[in-house]
Amino acid sequence: MDDYLIGVLSNIGVISFIALSAYLLLLTGEISFGQQAFFAIGAYAAGIATALWGWPLALALVWGAAIGGAAAVLVGIPTLRLHGLYFAIATLAFAEMVRILFELFRYQITIDGELVGPDGADGFRNIRYIFDNNIDAFQFLLLIYALLAVVLLGFVLLERSRLGVIFRMIGEDETLAGLQGVSIAHHKVLAAGISGALAGIGGGLYAHLTTYVEPRIFDVMLGVHSLAYGLIGGLGTALGPLLGVLIDIGVLESIRALSGYRMIIFGGLVALLLIVRPRGLLDENVVHKIGRFWRRISPWARRPGLNTGNRNNLTGGRP
Amino acid sequence: MRSIICTAAAIAMLALCGLEGAHAQVRAKAGVTCKPGTEKLQYDCIIKLANSKTNEPLSGLTLTVGADMPSMPAAHNVRPVGAAEDQEKGTYKARIVLEMYGDWALRLDLSGPVRDRVVKRLRFERDRVGETTPARAPGRHRH
Repeated sequence: MDDYLIGVLSNIGVISFIALSAYLLLLTGEISFGQQAFFAIGAYAAGIATALWGWPLALALVWGAAIGGAAAVLVGIPTLRLHGLYFAIATLAFAEMVRILFELFRYQITIDGELVGPDGADGFRNIRYIFDNNIDAFQFLLLIYALLAVVLLGFVLLERSRLGVIFRMIGEDETLAGLQGVSIAHHKVLAAGISGALAGIGGGLYAHLTTYVEPRIFDVMLGVHSLAYGLIGGLGTALGPLLGVLIDIGVLESIRALSGYRMIIFGGLVALLLIVRPRGLLDENVVHKIGRFWRRISPWARRPGLNTGNRNNLTGGRP
Repeated sequence: MRSIICTAAAIAMLALCGLEGAHAQVRAKAGVTCKPGTEKLQYDCIIKLANSKTNEPLSGLTLTVGADMPSMPAAHNVRPVGAAEDQEKGTYKARIVLEMYGDWALRLDLSGPVRDRVVKRLRFERDRVGETTPARAPGRHRH
């Protein structure tokens, strides 16, 4: 496979993690402009673990996810009472705070006569795990998509579980969900923690993919994109944000003639879709229709007693 | 469904474990100087590659030069171009065409006898190419 294609596919895979993390919060009705903070925390944590402490990649990624998740929980608790615009502003403020903290963060040690580690605004170079361990770009691509597959399967399970129904219930009407006996605070913090961990894994993979991170990578642009992927792709299924990433990085990337106008086209696409399809291309209605069609044509899907009405009831079938 | 997830998780963990390998021996360092070319957003770069420990020039490598805009990760990047080796040992030449002016992280991918990646951050302007000047924290300016 062409190196460039591997690079683009790797980017799509890695950015999908942060898109899914923003999507999970969107399910609970919260708009976060701050997922890039957890992506950054995961990137720095995992990078430090392999480059400075000599940890294996698997452990470093778990560490990045854990730190990202823990940070998200710490942000989630004080912002529990905030909604809508106020929550969005709070998450954006937190993300900017994290970015500026990384501009101040210096932690370098000498390895083989070379200073390695985060050096404030100059960034964190030499996260060389894949080169030191002779991992080629294609192998790393497979790793990214293996982890993404696990996460997607987790989302499939979540969507079918009571927890997924509760998340959507909170997203639809928090007060009503509370009246049904759902612990809003508990579930919102849980969603924040999971989304932070997802962004953390993505950050860890990104740091090892590029071998270099710097605070500027994690500015508001990344947060806006991660949110926009879900809004473009759709909120009816976890495949929605992936579709959003595919449209942005895949389709627009391939049209090189658009070159520097890509961002304008992307912004216009978001604005257009928010008007004509406010819940994205793969919204709940489309997903329901696809599911119904699948059940009609697939012999495996015809299972007696399968309750297919929950999601439709929850969303009220609205677009 | 749980068994599918467990299987997928196991495959991912195996993939991670399988990625442990032998350590590479040579690390590269690079000096990059670029100047504007004849066309808009076109730059001609001279790259000097050397062993970071011994300072010996690294020649006979396949070098590709790509570029990413740090402020827009994965959004603005330039398709990597091959660099041709010059007569001088360890010196390579590449012509890159960027999407816009500003700070770019040049990604030098080495393959062949030495496999490595070196990232150099440069500011590309209409008439010159220089070092980037990242916003520094208060009180930590370098002179």
